[in-house]
Amino acid sequence: MSLNRRTLLAGALSAAAAGSLAGCGGKDLDDLLTQAATVPRRPARLTWWVSEIPSRRGSVVADLIIRAFERRHPRIRVSKINALSTSDGNRSAIATQLAGGSPQPDVYLGDTTWPAQFGHSALALPVEKLLPSGFWDAYPAALRTSSTYRGTAYAVPFFTDSTYLFYRKDLLAKHGLRVPRSWEELLRTSRTVQQAGDVQAGFLWQAAVTESLTANVTEFLADAGATVLDGRGRAVLGGAEAERAFSLMAEFTARGVTPRTVATDEESDAQDAFVNGRGLFLRNWSYAWVNASTPGVSRVAGKIGAGPRPGFEGTGRSGVSCAGGWSNFVNPSSQELGAAMEFARFCAGDEVQRLLAREAGVIPAMTSVLGSPEAHAAGDPAVLRAADLRLVARPVQTPYYPQVSKALYTPANAVVRGSLSPADGVRAAREGLRTALEGKAL
Amino acid sequence: MSSALHKKTAGTPSQGEGGDARAGAPRKSPSAPPGSTARRRARAGWLFASPALLVIAAVTVFPVVFSLVLSFCEVRLEYGGLRFGSPTLAHYEALLTHPEWYRALAFTLGFTIVSVSVELVLGTLTALVLERLGAGRGWILALLLLPWALINVIAAQLWSYLFNGTYGAVSWLCEQVFDTQPDILGQPVSAMAAMVAVDVWKTTPFVAIVVLAGLMLIPGDVYEAAEIDGASAWTTFWKVTLPQLRPIVAIAVLFRILQAFGIFDLPFVLTQGGPGTATQSVAILGYRILFQNLDFGGGAAVAVTTAVIVLGCCLLFLRVFRAQVDEGGRA
Amino acid sequence: MSRRVLRTGVRRYVNAVNLGGLLIAVCATLPLLWMASASLKGPGEISATPPTLLPKDPTLSNYETAFERNGIGHYFLNSVVVASLSTVLILSLAFFAGYALARLPLRGRGAVMTALLMLSVFPPIALLVPLFLMERQAGLLNSYPGLIIPYVALNLPFAIWIMRNYLSGIPGELEEAAVVDGAGPLRTALTVILPLARPGLFTAGVFSFTATWSEFLLALTFNGSDDRRTVSVGIALFTSQYQVPYGVIFAGAMTATVPIALLVLIFRRSVVSGMTTGAVKG
Repeated sequence: MSLNRRTLLAGALSAAAAGSLAGCGGKDLDDLLTQAATVPRRPARLTWWVSEIPSRRGSVVADLIIRAFERRHPRIRVSKINALSTSDGNRSAIATQLAGGSPQPDVYLGDTTWPAQFGHSALALPVEKLLPSGFWDAYPAALRTSSTYRGTAYAVPFFTDSTYLFYRKDLLAKHGLRVPRSWEELLRTSRTVQQAGDVQAGFLWQAAVTESLTANVTEFLADAGATVLDGRGRAVLGGAEAERAFSLMAEFTARGVTPRTVATDEESDAQDAFVNGRGLFLRNWSYAWVNASTPGVSRVAGKIGAGPRPGFEGTGRSGVSCAGGWSNFVNPSSQELGAAMEFARFCAGDEVQRLLAREAGVIPAMTSVLGSPEAHAAGDPAVLRAADLRLVARPVQTPYYPQVSKALYTPANAVVRGSLSPADGVRAAREGLRTALEGKAL
Repeated sequence: MSSALHKKTAGTPSQGEGGDARAGAPRKSPSAPPGSTARRRARAGWLFASPALLVIAAVTVFPVVFSLVLSFCEVRLEYGGLRFGSPTLAHYEALLTHPEWYRALAFTLGFTIVSVSVELVLGTLTALVLERLGAGRGWILALLLLPWALINVIAAQLWSYLFNGTYGAVSWLCEQVFDTQPDILGQPVSAMAAMVAVDVWKTTPFVAIVVLAGLMLIPGDVYEAAEIDGASAWTTFWKVTLPQLRPIVAIAVLFRILQAFGIFDLPFVLTQGGPGTATQSVAILGYRILFQNLDFGGGAAVAVTTAVIVLGCCLLFLRVFRAQVDEGGRA
Repeated sequence: MSRRVLRTGVRRYVNAVNLGGLLIAVCATLPLLWMASASLKGPGEISATPPTLLPKDPTLSNYETAFERNGIGHYFLNSVVVASLSTVLILSLAFFAGYALARLPLRGRGAVMTALLMLSVFPPIALLVPLFLMERQAGLLNSYPGLIIPYVALNLPFAIWIMRNYLSGIPGELEEAAVVDGAGPLRTALTVILPLARPGLFTAGVFSFTATWSEFLLALTFNGSDDRRTVSVGIALFTSQYQVPYGVIFAGAMTATVPIALLVLIFRRSVVSGMTTGAVKG
């Protein structure tokens, strides 16, 4: 009797669960795109997953954008959800929600490394057909490439990010030294100023086992002229160039120019040390300029400069920067696809892009805005020099990008800590990349 | 405290009954009217137990079976929802051939063994001190409860601040003592040690209180006998106290081992599994496969392998400590 | 008796014990006091080297940020709802199941008890994928029931274990009297057993509440949306632009910890005796 009941109930339960799981055909993509194609006339509510956008004058940039949008679309109300500040943590958090089919957030701000993976796993709406023809002409070609996976764009431009070498003007002037043009010179300059006891650390950067380190590795490899993937997307990392890049990362810590804590530092940690006067040089994204030059937040405000990253001696290459940035994605499970899409388009448009140049410490995605009066008035060297940089892309065109990134940052971190030789690090990275690209990595 | 003590001393004789004392409970039930009442009670037994058992089965047993199915499937998210593809062994192949899984397993096992042993030793020491403490024991017990009741994530955030390489208090102390700036969370060995330390700080109180309860259970005459025999304090501890503690400690250890095996919160906040993959526990690895790589089949494979290992350990433990667990359960 | 004589006799020994007690108290509380102090430090001082013991310039701004920007009050409320509802459900289910296992004739009792012991320590990671997918289909993600259901199920085994052991110790005479009076099993359970079961329920309640209050992995994956985050998740995901916002994190942590700490200190006797009962018997 009891056994019978148990079997029956277990059976019913499994049947119910299996049924509900199998019967999830539901909406197909064409329906979603049709819904997304029209902006609703009825009242609608949107939620926007957005991290804190660095602000030039203390205003909350996201709120300004929302207000501008609501003026244009009085029936649509937008509220924001605070996103996480680290790229990896943020990705896991939002991916968890999206994979769970949550209708919220309707629109989310995501890294430019996400489109392939998110498109592959149906976490982002393919927006290609929802953008007017000629839309992409207004934005850098690299941004279009990184937003596209298998011929379809999954992200709408918002702002781009580049990396720079930030330096202490005052300390360099005190020692009569110039801004280094090569890594070799940077090492010498750092030692000089450090030995004089003027600063704890020479060069601050990021080597925590996260996306932060992948961006750094990509840049150092490009500095040295090493290739990560060949034209057919196979991992070919190796040779003297790659080893040179890995050796440099080890040298920073081995020679004490970079503190050992770099192995756990992300952007915010390195920036924090710099604004507290603990470093001579800092490699960071463009937003660090605003943060480091805001009195009250920064102890080194007014004492800093920013320029392109140095390169290796004898290569003739400098000013390499990882192509970064944040774009808006539309949640395919949103109940307000039309409004969400309109909001994403609005953020890419002229009004918001000018607003970003004026109010935010980021580089607007729209190319024409970079030369605009707003951008010049802001006087941010990071924004003004954005056009001079040599942008390099991370190998983002794969649905396995998280594994690819891990294959780069894991051995690189070990090299920085001195527990792996540069040659072994390069070898490990190449092997890891191969496994990752086959989709067999963990 | 004292109330617990009394309850237990009152209960000790029942240990002597041996056999299946608790299964004998129905004997206490009225045997006079056999027919209908007995049947009613038998039916009520399952009626009372089944809601709880069903909830448990729905959330544990059934999902484990579901995991098993998933782990042999290609699972993909598509715009219509989940798509289950053809059966495959690829998830297990990827997992079992990847050194990272073994590293995660090794770290998890190592962490479990080291932290539980340290907690056991420190917990016993703490309990011995507490037992001998006169006034103020109640307050110290209460203070010990605070770390135990603290949310894991908060404990992890607190210690990640204390271990911070630049401005953490622990790092600063190390610098004063050893004269070099340590990077506690940046080096594999020290990061693992730090994680054990945090777990020890947070969980030793639990072990201590359990052991203390065990100490209070030991009847005084056992000690008197030892004293008459002229045993030293040390011998008394090894020959008398420890064997008496065994049943209780066995349960506590089983509990702690399996809890430590599932460790997620600490590495998630403290090191994110780093440096490298040094502190990546099985749970962190599973979480990453799921929500970083969005690989549900692979995640299911981690779930199944973990479940198999845990059940295996549990069965082994029960086999070895059968007697202790029964006694502990019955005390 | 003789042990006491021995103890008071050796003075040095007593001192060592007292020192040990002091050491234990300091180890347990110093980090917590440090957290309390740090929560009152401004953004500069919190990352000062060398670290300061007490805030030079105490400020409540971290608390303001925790409440206004990070919504700690909201997370706290979510945690209270989830943990208390789960605890109530766990206790009501565990009471009946424990009673059945302890006092009613039940075939397969031994197997059920062993299974319960094993399930009570099953790591959540082993259930994460299937539960996530099941809840996704059922539309339970980012809802209170979505967290309460697994919490109830995962903490039930241990609660049943405690209740069963506790109820086994209750003398049978009262129950027999009720049966003789013609009371059915349900009435017996509710009128006779329940009043006696209070200490056991308290023990099971303390364990269930702390476990659900502190749980992180399921809360992170099932209720990640901002409006449903529990304290654990909220505090793990606290963010800010400039640095790891330890001041704000600790302000949030203090907000979540102080009420629980006060409860623990007020009910310390019952909690300790409950923990030992539960642990010893479980």
